[in-house]
Amino acid sequence: MTRTQAFGIIRKVLKIAKADAVSAGVRADTNASTRIADNAITQNVRTESQGLWVEVAYGKRSGGASTNDLGDASLRAVVARAQQIAKVTPPDPEYMPPLPGAEAKRYPVVSAFVPATLAQTPMDRARVLASAAAGVRRRRLRLSGAWSTSGTWSAFGNSKGLRAWHRLTYAEAHMTVLGPAGSGWAQAISTDAGEVDVAAVVAEAAGIAVRAQHAVDLPAGKYDVIMRPAAVADILGFVLWGGFDAKATDERRTFLRGKLGRKVFGDNINLRTDPGDPRCPGWPFHGDGLAAKPRFWIRNGVVENLIYSRYWAKKKRKAPTGWPTNTILDGQGTSVDDMIASTKRGLLITRFWYIRDVDPMAPTVTGMTRDGLFLVENGRIVKPVKQMRFNENLVGVFSRVEALGVPVVSGEWGGMVVPPLKVRDFTFTSTTRFG
Amino acid sequence: MNELCLRAIGVARRRGATYADARIVALRHQYVMVEDRRIPSVQDSDSLGLGVRVIAGGAWGFAASASLTKAAIERTAAQAVEIARASGLAKAPGGVRWAKEPVHVAVFRTPVGRDPFPVPVAEKADLLLAVSREVLKVRGVRKCHGYMQFQGEHRWLATSEGTIVESETITSHATYTATAVDGTTAKTRTFEAHPANAGWEHVAATPLLGEARRVGEQAVAKLKGKACPVGRRDLVLHPSHLALTMHESIGHATELDRVLGMEESLAGSSFATIDKLGKLRYGSPLMNIVCDNTMPHGLATRGWDDDGVEGQRWPVIQNGILIDYQTGREVCHRIGAARSRGSCRADSWSSIPIIRQSNIGLEPGRAPLSLDELIADTRDGIYIEGMGSFSIDQKRQNFQFGGDCFWEIRNGKKGAMYKDVTYQAITTEFWGAMDAVCDARFWQPYGVNNCGKGDPMQVARMTHGSAPARFRKIRVGAGTR
Repeated sequence: MTRTQAFGIIRKVLKIAKADAVSAGVRADTNASTRIADNAITQNVRTESQGLWVEVAYGKRSGGASTNDLGDASLRAVVARAQQIAKVTPPDPEYMPPLPGAEAKRYPVVSAFVPATLAQTPMDRARVLASAAAGVRRRRLRLSGAWSTSGTWSAFGNSKGLRAWHRLTYAEAHMTVLGPAGSGWAQAISTDAGEVDVAAVVAEAAGIAVRAQHAVDLPAGKYDVIMRPAAVADILGFVLWGGFDAKATDERRTFLRGKLGRKVFGDNINLRTDPGDPRCPGWPFHGDGLAAKPRFWIRNGVVENLIYSRYWAKKKRKAPTGWPTNTILDGQGTSVDDMIASTKRGLLITRFWYIRDVDPMAPTVTGMTRDGLFLVENGRIVKPVKQMRFNENLVGVFSRVEALGVPVVSGEWGGMVVPPLKVRDFTFTSTTRFG
Repeated sequence: MNELCLRAIGVARRRGATYADARIVALRHQYVMVEDRRIPSVQDSDSLGLGVRVIAGGAWGFAASASLTKAAIERTAAQAVEIARASGLAKAPGGVRWAKEPVHVAVFRTPVGRDPFPVPVAEKADLLLAVSREVLKVRGVRKCHGYMQFQGEHRWLATSEGTIVESETITSHATYTATAVDGTTAKTRTFEAHPANAGWEHVAATPLLGEARRVGEQAVAKLKGKACPVGRRDLVLHPSHLALTMHESIGHATELDRVLGMEESLAGSSFATIDKLGKLRYGSPLMNIVCDNTMPHGLATRGWDDDGVEGQRWPVIQNGILIDYQTGREVCHRIGAARSRGSCRADSWSSIPIIRQSNIGLEPGRAPLSLDELIADTRDGIYIEGMGSFSIDQKRQNFQFGGDCFWEIRNGKKGAMYKDVTYQAITTEFWGAMDAVCDARFWQPYGVNNCGKGDPMQVARMTHGSAPARFRKIRVGAGTR
């Protein structure tokens, strides 16, 4: 979808709609993904989709509708549906009118679109995976994973003249290599498919898998841990998404109640958003057209900002922030090898799995380690151990960080920029039956 | 729509596909949200598109498009074949094996008393606001969130074998949560008209308003509840809680694609491997787990799966022994089955069908036993209702679950409330510790409408039914201290 096509649709919607305020968004996506399991391609898909959403308001009554049919008749129908809903919906005291056109001047410059990413063909992906699988098979291992590329084109417009446009590409490979009694995992993410070296990802996962075979039992308890970046990304989201909503915090429903401006985490914790960061670009604007600006959430352990909607920001006389469109945890530069070398007894964690809140007010979470857990003794990895369940307080975890490495892009859902961490006294409460 | 599907199949076959199916799916979703005394969002969405899946050269290809023009259909079908040719570079030894299935030409529709979509938005908003007002009347409750959502799915599926089926399902769901806040913490309590394939009558028949005071009061009571003990306790689990425990520790573990390693890269695999079929003691002799894709109002009840296989009812665990799996046409031969159990579904026209949980649940006990009698028979235990925190390892062995509301059981009596309880176990040890299941009078279904699986991720819906059951000496409290 081109910018001209997208804004053409928005123009039509704004013309059709008869309301006090109108906002509309158009989006098109193309997704291609090749999945492999047990050294064979099991799934190979390509999807093209598109969509339009419309929100209209009469005074403080608003309603929304969306469709993926962008024909003229459908545009009229979706506008009519939104209008119909808005007319019968009770007035919302927290309704905020559309932003003015000048908001677009505040958008950060974000470069996130690499056309070559979309030139990848099914045959390109299959060749890479077939070659990788053959190599893994020769080592009597098994390869599972997915190699995916996507493109997104998005336009926004409202009846106050605000217009926004963004496009991005995304390339991601995650690979699990399995031996008879243990597995390893690795991942690479970029806007540029050319920068995702699938063979290197497979090699890294295979290296972990080979070391992970025949894990032994280790009792649960407190251990110093070295978390590779994927593990850090897995738990970090529970800090930011679980506690930083300003309205919930002001209503005393999050663990950060009364803590804005106070030191909560360790001095070495700096958590921020910067949509323009080329390592993991974020959207330059939010769903309502609000500019996404760089800002710290935690600086030197102090809670510097909460997440303010436009309504709550107005009520509290704060600047609206919207939800973070990317997440960066600053690092310091200690390598994983140095973290291992400085550890008398601890565990090296490849990644976590199935983390869930236990008590969001504490905030405590539980989850499992996955795809390579290793005992470190006297500065060396000595043996793989069976996977463990942890129950931890996240404020405690991010107050006991002893070393931070070089940040990289990692994570399950679009990625964050995070360093590996060394954390003191991490609590494991049980073990499972495999490595 | 059937003609459009057949056009896609024709193109795929002419380009060399040995098998092809085409699905056109029209989706509709309506969502009405309440927060305290306001309706912050009412959304109504629809989506229509085509997915074409083919086997060519012994390998899979899939392509999907939102456009249903002749050119788009032909392009999509051709892409699917081209993708399958690429998949052939690393196909499974011998290529895809595809189990036989009788040809079906038929229509299925969810029986619906009152279509929820024409029900006025104002009526829905009024009910949610009334519930929220009632919840907020309880002293100590500071927040009420809730929503209703309705999903309609109209699906046309045709296969190159001659199957042409149409299914129309409607799902209705309403839920709300009261949040009580005091000087130190906040606690929640939830009530719902659980997701079911049914119309507005399902929401209307659930006492959403009538239970609002109780829900609010229990949220407040949780604030003052006792801390979870640490140690081992007998657990009496209500169907509203067991639904999720079964989902995670049985439902996923018996999906044959996971068992075979096909989901290893994301959702994981299973400890219940095929070498254990017919031998694995999964649980106590009281444990009888049945899949039922013919269950009235079940979220996985839709006539045929997306492999074109008819909905079936079958046991997977009998008297505690693993005897079968949830299967699809591609994999059923791996356990020597000639026919799929019909467990393959896609969440949209744009998604490829994968094995999803069926409606799967615990059969009721055969001897008469009520919940009150079960509690009366328990000396030192905890009674749990509702779903809470849940986590399980990628082979479905080590799990930790919370819940929504918890009471102490002391000498046969339901006593004080706990503020938070977690329990940890290994799947087979947990189910092996089940020593009582209430009878059929107390069997209740609960829908799960947010089951994530697949890569790319898909979200599926299914229903889990059970009667209250008791589990002896389960480890509690490890996650709360």
